[in-house]
Amino acid sequence: MTLRLRRRTALLGSLAAPFISRLAAAQTGPIRLGTLTPQTGAGGPYGPPMVKTVQAVVADINAAGGVLGRKIELVSEDDETNPDSAVRAARKLIDVEKVSAIIGTWASAVTTAVAPLCWENKVMLFTVSGADSITKLPHNGYIIRTQPNTYLQSGMAAQFLAKSGAKSVFALSAQTPFAVDSYNRLAEVLAASGAKALGDVIYDPAKTSFRSEIDQALKTKPDALFLNSYTPDLAVILRELYRAGYEGKKFTYGYAANAKLIESVGAEVAEGLISFAPSPDLDSPSYARIKALLGNEPDPYSCQVYDHISLAALAIAKAGAATGSAIHDSVRAVGNRAGSKVTDAVAGLKLLAAGKEVNFEGASGPCKFTALGDIEGCRFRFDVAEKGKYRLLSLI
Amino acid sequence: MIGDFPQLLINGLLAGTQLAVPAIGFTTVFAVLRFPNFAVASHATIGAYAGYLANTAFGLPAGAALLVAFLVAGLFGVASDEIVLRRLRSSGPLTVAIASVALTIVLENAVRFGFGNDPRGYDLAVLRDWRVDLGWLGLVRIGPQQVINAGAAAIAMALLFGFLGFTRTGKMMRAVADNPMLAALKGINAETVARLANFIGMGLAGYGGMLIAMDTAVDPLTGFRVMLSIFAAAVVGGLGSIPGAVLGAFVIGVGEEMSVLLFDPTYRTAVGFFAILIVLTLRPRGLLGERAV
Repeated sequence: MTLRLRRRTALLGSLAAPFISRLAAAQTGPIRLGTLTPQTGAGGPYGPPMVKTVQAVVADINAAGGVLGRKIELVSEDDETNPDSAVRAARKLIDVEKVSAIIGTWASAVTTAVAPLCWENKVMLFTVSGADSITKLPHNGYIIRTQPNTYLQSGMAAQFLAKSGAKSVFALSAQTPFAVDSYNRLAEVLAASGAKALGDVIYDPAKTSFRSEIDQALKTKPDALFLNSYTPDLAVILRELYRAGYEGKKFTYGYAANAKLIESVGAEVAEGLISFAPSPDLDSPSYARIKALLGNEPDPYSCQVYDHISLAALAIAKAGAATGSAIHDSVRAVGNRAGSKVTDAVAGLKLLAAGKEVNFEGASGPCKFTALGDIEGCRFRFDVAEKGKYRLLSLI
Repeated sequence: MIGDFPQLLINGLLAGTQLAVPAIGFTTVFAVLRFPNFAVASHATIGAYAGYLANTAFGLPAGAALLVAFLVAGLFGVASDEIVLRRLRSSGPLTVAIASVALTIVLENAVRFGFGNDPRGYDLAVLRDWRVDLGWLGLVRIGPQQVINAGAAAIAMALLFGFLGFTRTGKMMRAVADNPMLAALKGINAETVARLANFIGMGLAGYGGMLIAMDTAVDPLTGFRVMLSIFAAAVVGGLGSIPGAVLGAFVIGVGEEMSVLLFDPTYRTAVGFFAILIVLTLRPRGLLGERAV
């Protein structure tokens, strides 16, 4: 009997051994961080360069010895620009991969869907989504975003439109969590600037034709159209506006008006399209680094995730622990204005290891956050499509 | 609001002609193989991309590119059936239908792998709309491209009806659709007819996919976006009935456009579901029943 018991204990012990070593590894093994980006769906053009950027930063950090003497292990998942798929992917990242931060959710609907999983599991969520509602969720500080919110962006757009002489503006908006907020703020600022918002149509971006929606918009005879769209539906809308003979101003978000858009619809159809976007810090060395890495002018999201992964690594080093709550507690402390300014994670990690304070300012901007998790401010750029190319109109 | 009526009707009719071609493809496959092949979505996309390559890389005019779209999508249809769906046919129509959903996801992502996510456009001039004054009914806009597309759709449909009505092979297909057992007794090879149905059905899906993409843009979701409308058109008209698919496509096309008179455009997608619901409640076999032609 005693023998059997001993045997059983030995058996149990040997069974448990891998788990014990895994537990130990959780404190000494690699630090696991996740990206959740749109590799497919409407955000599909943005996910791949975002992941490439994060991977490059991780490789830099690991080559320089890692964080707290541990390597970073990156797990990348596709959110398919779809909340359902995003929740499944986030579950995998949190439950199976045990990541302490998720980086890069792009569509607002996706971020809204995965945010509760993150704050309930004390996993830090870094996002590039803009909907106002996101940081108003009860996230207890587990959401940080580098994208200016809808309120800030729509106000900026309205000011620009009013200044450019548009007296009346109609909005065509894809159905998104920020469509209504965006239009309300637009109308408010337009009214304050002596112009008028004529109304908006919220359409289903999954349809192939928007002729009837466009008829509704053009009936009001607007000076300018505010096209709150994503790239695939914007391509269709621009063609239909051209066919309809619309000659007024066309205004849209920068993420929808990319180089591929002009390629798809042709120079003539895109002519005069004004797009605006929160501008990365074009003079930052980090911006130059991403540009070299991607081989072209980086989009704002690649710049933002560069900052996300850097902030996460620095916060872990600052806190001395690799958990989500450690990042949560220290993410603002690595942007200490009294510290020495750094623009990349490796330099910052060296300073932190030497016991110094750091002030991280990244590729997307100064990376200073309000208590809610929004950025305090950033620059905006306005571009116009002319003869098949975008030309910088102004930088505010 | 009533003043919008003529414009919405025209938009709807033009949308209906475009929808009709892939809907016929869908219903043709159903008529012969008795299962809903949801892979029409990816085959429409494949057709759109095949036409895109023919048009931009090889410089073929749109008409020839449409033919390429038909052939390539048709061949893909036969191949994907041989490799994937045929083996599952003995497990019942539900299994094959589910497999076709998986197949469409795989093919769509294969397209994405090769071409990326970005929307692309054909090498065709975007034409300004014609404006037609209808007197007291007001002014309506009609897109030349849409009229050309409607013509192309009409040609495809006429050819198909001619084929099914007047050729020996077409009659064979109808025989199998009407009564597979009797057709087998008469010595008609069911496998050959199945291959032919797949070729024609998926070819039409590709042809229709390219028509839709010519009006909008080519991207990996081109086919998937119209999947529900195609399915609704086929169900409303009566699954397996080719004239039914045409009628159903008009009902869905006009219905989706007209719905903006009553609802927010956001709810336009619901029209397809709503139409399926009403038809299946009141006329479970569809508007025209399920006779093939």
